[in-house]
This record gives sequence, C-alpha cells and structure tokens, in this order.
Amino acid sequence: MSRILVYCGFRHAPEISLPAVGVTGAPVQLTSLDDLCLLWSDVEWPFDPQRMQKSAVEFHEVVLQVFKQTAVIPFRLLSVFDDQQAFMTFAAENHERFLQDLDRLKDFVQMECVIYPKPSETPVDRSSGKAYLEQKAIALRSSEASVQATQDALAHLSREVRIREGKNGTRIFVLVDRGLESDFRQAVTAVPIPTHLSRRVSGPWPAAEFLSGQVKIPQVDGVAGAK
Amino acid sequence: MGHGRRTLLSLMPNDFETLETLGGEDEVSLLEILDHVLNSGVVIHGSLVISLAGVDLVYLGLNVVLASVETALSNLQIEEKRRQK
Repeated sequence: MSRILVYCGFRHAPEISLPAVGVTGAPVQLTSLDDLCLLWSDVEWPFDPQRMQKSAVEFHEVVLQVFKQTAVIPFRLLSVFDDQQAFMTFAAENHERFLQDLDRLKDFVQMECVIYPKPSETPVDRSSGKAYLEQKAIALRSSEASVQATQDALAHLSREVRIREGKNGTRIFVLVDRGLESDFRQAVTAVPIPTHLSRRVSGPWPAAEFLSGQVKIPQVDGVAGAK
Repeated sequence: MGHGRRTLLSLMPNDFETLETLGGEDEVSLLEILDHVLNSGVVIHGSLVISLAGVDLVYLGLNVVLASVETALSNLQIEEKRRQK
C-alpha cells in the first residue's frame, strides 16, 4: 500500500531549486496552496525496517536541500497521509498557520548545544545515601551553572531560547540569524566547561523547536495530531 | 491509517558512520539526523513502535513518543561509543 509522505513546507519563491527524488528514490512532488509549498512523495508503507536509517538520511537530504535556500517547516519522517485527499484537506486547513510561522522564522536557523555528564567520569559515591545525594546535587548545580554561562555567552546572538532537560543532559535550542552559525559556535566553545561535563554543538537546523503549537501538532479533521 | 495504529521502526545500533552532509565543520552524525527527522517538526501520526536491537519499545501517544524517542536515541549513542572504542 502507498501513503503520502510529506517532507517540509516553505514559502514559494521561483529561484528555489527542488530535489528530484526522496525516500526510496520516489519522485518528490510539489503542492502549492496560496504561497505555501509542500514537498511530498508517494511511498510504499510501512517502510522497510531494514533500510530505515537510509530512509532517514534520504528524508533529511530533501529537507536540507530546501533549507539551505530558505526557511522550512519540517515534517517528521513518519508523518504520512492516507491519500491525496487527506493531504489536501490538511493543507487547506493549516496553510495560513504554516505561512505565519514561515514569515516569523524566515531569517533564522536553529542551533543547538547539548551539555551532558561524561559517562563514568566520576565514580558514583555509594558509601551512603547522603553522600550520593550530595554528589548528585553538586553535579546538578555544576550543570546548571554551565547551561547558564552558555546562555549568557549567547545572549547577543539569541533571538529566542528553549531549554529542554532530559535524563541525559540539557539541550539548549537557540534561534539565530541565518549566517551567524559560526559566531554561535565560537561563542559556545569560548565558555569553559567542567571536566565532568561534555558539550556537543550542532546546526544549523530548521527552526522546528520554535514552531507554534498549532503547527507542530496540527488539527486534522478536528483531532490534534492524528487522523 | 487510524489513530492508535502502530508503525514499526527498527533502529539497529550499527552503521553509525558520520555523514558529511553539510560539509566542513558542520558534520552531522547519523544519530543527530535520526533524532531530528524522528523527533522534530510537524507530527501527523499518533503512535509508533521502535525496535531497538531486537527489543520492541512500545510508545503509545504523541507525548510519550516525544519523550521516549530521546531515550531510545541516547541508548543508541551509548552503543555507538562502545563500538568506537
């Protein structure tokens, strides 16, 4: 069976060059509604689990080609519609919100910095519950201080910041003017980091973290996020 | 595809080569690509199953997916580091 796999949306501009093929070599198709362009492919569904990683890279490359030229709203790899009609209904219901977000984010990219504890760097003190908790508290304060120092160092570049705490560290998402990615990297790496912590910087990415809620999980047939 | 139907996605901890998709210092690892294509952007579907190294991790509901994919990917990251040693 086949499904409609959507890659991304972007505002129409005649100079944007589009990828020809996408996931599993399927032709990439363009649907336009007002000024909103949506790229999609008709793909076999479900995906072959054996080539899932390859599909992910192919999906990423389609989005990336457009993102290099303009702001995009990426869909998730597993965002599929049953058929053209469902896809067109979705586009008709949501295109204005998509265009609003694209206008808001058109000059920006998303950069990321993850700060996380180095695995097994410090032996866990299990001599007592108190010692263990104290060790955890010190590590937590140190991590919070590093996150704050990073935020401060990026203040002059940050249009917007989102922070997400995870079990494995803190992710800092920063909305940065397109073209200032190197400045972001320099600013981050200039911040000293304690030896028990690691840091990873990545980007530029589409500003997915900064999408409005109704775009990120849109209404489809009156049901949020699913049909 | 109705709400609640699952999609099987298999992430095996192999072939974690680094891909030069952006060139130069903007090297992006496959892990990061997986994280972004699965975990960032517009969500249409409601549920999926991730199979990690033969063990099915079942996620039901969007909110759970959002949190749990990160956990699955961190497990993959650990495995990747182990392979690199």
